[in-house]
Amino acid sequence: MNATRFLFHTRSLRLPLLCVAGLRNKSLSSGPIPLHQFLSSDHCTRRCLCSKPVFRRDPSQSEESQNKPDKTLISYDNLFERAALDSKNKATFSHVLDVFKNKDIRRRGHVEFIYAALKKMPEFGVEQDLAIYNKLLDVFPKEVFIPRNFIQRMFNHYPRQQECGVQILEQMENYGVLPNVETKVLLIQIFGKKSHPIRKYQRLMYWFPRFKHVNPYPVPRELPQDPVDLARFSLHRIAADLNAKVTVYQMPSSDHNEDGNLVCQPYIVGIQSPDQREVLAKHRPNRPVFVEGPFPLWLKRTCVYYYVLRADPLPPEEKVEEPVDPERNFFYPLELELDYDRDLGDDEDFDVDEVEEGPVYAMCMTDSGDRDTLAKWISGLQETNPILGCTPTVFRLDSGPSEVQSCTVSDHPEIEDVLQGQKMAQ
Amino acid sequence: MMAMVISGVTRACARMHFRARALTVQVLGLQSLRGFRTQSPSLAFAKDIFLGKINKAEAFPYPEISNEELEEIGQLVAPVEKFFMEDVDSRKIDLEATIPPKTMSGLKELGLFGIQIPEEYGGLGLSNTMYARLGEITSMDGSIAVTLAAHQAIGLKGILIAGNDEQKSRYLPKLASGEHIAAFCLTEPGSGSDAASIQSRATLSEDKKYFVLNGSKIWISNGGFADIFTVFARTEVVDTDGKKMDKITAFIVERAFGGVTSGKPEDKLGIRGSNTSEVHFENTRVPVENVIGEVGGGFKVAMNILNSGRFSMGSASAGMIKRLIEMTAEYAGTRKQFGKKLGEFGLIQEKFATMAQQAFVMESMAYLTAGMMDRPGMPDCSVEAAMVKVFSSEGAWMCVSEALQILGGLGYMKDYPYERYLRDSRILLIFEGTNEILRMYIALTGIQYAGKILAGKIKEMKKGNLSVFMEIFREKLQNSLSKKIDLGLSGPDGVVHPSLTDSAKKLEENVFYFGKTVDGLLYRFGKSIIDEQLVLKRIADVLIHIYAMTAVLSRASRSITIGLRDHDHEVLLANTFCAQAYFQNNYRLVQLEKNSPENHDASIKKIAQQILERRTYVCSHPLDRTF
Repeated sequence: MNATRFLFHTRSLRLPLLCVAGLRNKSLSSGPIPLHQFLSSDHCTRRCLCSKPVFRRDPSQSEESQNKPDKTLISYDNLFERAALDSKNKATFSHVLDVFKNKDIRRRGHVEFIYAALKKMPEFGVEQDLAIYNKLLDVFPKEVFIPRNFIQRMFNHYPRQQECGVQILEQMENYGVLPNVETKVLLIQIFGKKSHPIRKYQRLMYWFPRFKHVNPYPVPRELPQDPVDLARFSLHRIAADLNAKVTVYQMPSSDHNEDGNLVCQPYIVGIQSPDQREVLAKHRPNRPVFVEGPFPLWLKRTCVYYYVLRADPLPPEEKVEEPVDPERNFFYPLELELDYDRDLGDDEDFDVDEVEEGPVYAMCMTDSGDRDTLAKWISGLQETNPILGCTPTVFRLDSGPSEVQSCTVSDHPEIEDVLQGQKMAQ
Repeated sequence: MMAMVISGVTRACARMHFRARALTVQVLGLQSLRGFRTQSPSLAFAKDIFLGKINKAEAFPYPEISNEELEEIGQLVAPVEKFFMEDVDSRKIDLEATIPPKTMSGLKELGLFGIQIPEEYGGLGLSNTMYARLGEITSMDGSIAVTLAAHQAIGLKGILIAGNDEQKSRYLPKLASGEHIAAFCLTEPGSGSDAASIQSRATLSEDKKYFVLNGSKIWISNGGFADIFTVFARTEVVDTDGKKMDKITAFIVERAFGGVTSGKPEDKLGIRGSNTSEVHFENTRVPVENVIGEVGGGFKVAMNILNSGRFSMGSASAGMIKRLIEMTAEYAGTRKQFGKKLGEFGLIQEKFATMAQQAFVMESMAYLTAGMMDRPGMPDCSVEAAMVKVFSSEGAWMCVSEALQILGGLGYMKDYPYERYLRDSRILLIFEGTNEILRMYIALTGIQYAGKILAGKIKEMKKGNLSVFMEIFREKLQNSLSKKIDLGLSGPDGVVHPSLTDSAKKLEENVFYFGKTVDGLLYRFGKSIIDEQLVLKRIADVLIHIYAMTAVLSRASRSITIGLRDHDHEVLLANTFCAQAYFQNNYRLVQLEKNSPENHDASIKKIAQQILERRTYVCSHPLDRTF
């Protein structure tokens, strides 16, 4: 957006020759910094030049002035809406583009048309389609806007068209669509090699590939559709332990019972790692374990909920440090009998105040967060963790998202219920 | 000057003769007397190195055996060598993955199953030095060497060093004759070096007359046909304050006790003729008399067996390399390329020099260590033995690889024995404690010793005691001004021959700065040095090379002074090795300094962590694109 705003200013202010030339050099010389420099230098030039209010255009004015082309936008909107009567998809959208392209060899009103098309793209579900963007760029007449002499090159040639071109790229940027060579060829054909859209394209090509893998924990573009698969994926993601194993305790199913009512069996998918099992085995049965949740997990635009089985941290007085058994390693000592420790100069750890949290023993996902379902999970866990059979389990459940919809009990967000594990196991 | 040195050496030789005579008397009693020592062992030689000193008396002069012993070993070696040359078909053993019964009975007749068993029990009753000498020959076939070692270096060693007289007289005669074969059962599916994960269990019967043993052991050498097993299992022990605890106990288990089954022999990369299999014990009834040592004392038994069994690998590897040198030299002297013999090419010559040097060093270390172990008073040479094992196993692997390289494609062919040597020698780096684990043992044992002695000084420094600092500063200043390090190896009271003075000086310098480095490391890391494995590895490497330098200097000095044949070649080898080891040690010591640019440990750890986090090679493919 910043880049576009900058374009507005340069266009409206008619920057003096020297300044523009300076900016161009800067923008050519290096990638990431110029955008910043653009803005700051732009600010100062604007300040010196604001004695020419005729050309000034602040945000509020720009909205007003957009009203005029909006009339035409509406007419082009109609074009899309008519097409949308059939169905809103890529085919109809590109059909509209074809219709416009072939209607008039001069492509009259193409800027307005492109703005209208950009607005409609999400509706037709083509906002992430590179081919459509290229097709949209193709709407511009070729070679008309390329500056032919140094004066044109120096000033902002066909600013409205250039800005429109930049807008297309801007929208691509916002939807994370990476331009390709075709885009570049089109832009050069339309605006020439040193135009603003080409600059924008270059900036995109500079940053996009660099940021493509910036997320070390990428979420796939297409999430699994099956809720069990989605739960499996999400649980692996939260567990972050390659040893952790997912168990499907219950598959989703719906059946009619004797009365003919539809009975839905929720899915229960849980995850537990061997380390967690080990820690749980050392849990003292006199202290309760808690089932807590639901906690949200966002995967792009999808939100899923999970539950955890955890315990409170041991109070310091109950902790016992297990001494290293001197008869443990057949080959070398595991501990040195020296009474001095690491020197301060070699202690490279940061001084961090650590807050101890209780251990998390397992996690699960289900589509109904009621106590009965979660109790089934716990009894499923008991098969591999027999200690749960003699440990009191406390359910501390917030009203989950599904319960908000059905809206039955929301007066007490926390339902505390102590259940003896043995009873549950029945 | 020369005369003085020589007279010094003759004096020393006289002392040696006396010692050797004492030794022959001792040999019998030696084994039975060898006790347990796990806590702070009284190290023979290595301990002083950590303090920057050399205990000359331990390593100089080079140990000798008496003429009678020499004659005896000569009489023993000749038939064994003849047997291995004529009656052992290593290729067949390797192909069929079994040692033919005829060969086995031949080995038994030669008495090779009871080399170290005292004569009163029907063994040969040989000293460690003579055992090492025989190891040179038996290493002609890897499978046989491992079978023999599994039998007597670890299998029956428990009875030998910790068994009572009753157990000895009951089991040793048959083991010595080879009528019974022994195996050592420690490793379990879930337990390599970790005693805590041993699952096998022995429960005392109600009448307290026998233990009921249950459990599975894996990768047991000789497991398929052994009759006597040294088995380690958990037993319940009541400690002094009445608490019940699980402790490891060692048992002698006969196959005849029942409930002992062996799995099928494992198919291995090398030493294919040796038998390796699983051994299962199911309700095996072991009489209480068959407990080795005391109930709950199995850990120490295991440690002592493992520590005592390693030194012979040096002579065995050296023996193997010496034979490889003969075979490849024959090839290099006959094969011609571009009108030149292979041996005329510098790159081939380099390989021969490397092999000779390695064999020389291994031999020197092995016999120095064996000699130390044979001394009266039973010095604990476990660190030295571990150093010999690490050095010789790695050297053997490298030399076999170099030999193969000399032979080119020929070495790769199954028609020739070289590829078998390569496969066989790979196990040396793994068994009897992997080299990584032994490096930890070498470094930590020394660090523990030095750490206790230096504790007072380091604590004073940490308190900020000015006078201690002044002392250290003065010492440093003195060192930097005078720059003379003299630990007494050469010079008027020296033990090293003058022609090796330069090398001795290098050794002294290494030892001196090693002591300083250990001092600094202890100050820096304290007891947390146990977590700095890369530091410990370097400490172990420096120490191994210091010990190797000492061994070659001692041996070469002796050779010159008594005028052994070709001692000039020994001097050449010793000086070359010392010069190389000196530079390598210096580099390692520099790496051990704080903030040294030569040290990449942090980066190395980071690389490994990132890989292990994802359990895969991390980088993108070089052909990948982002746009």
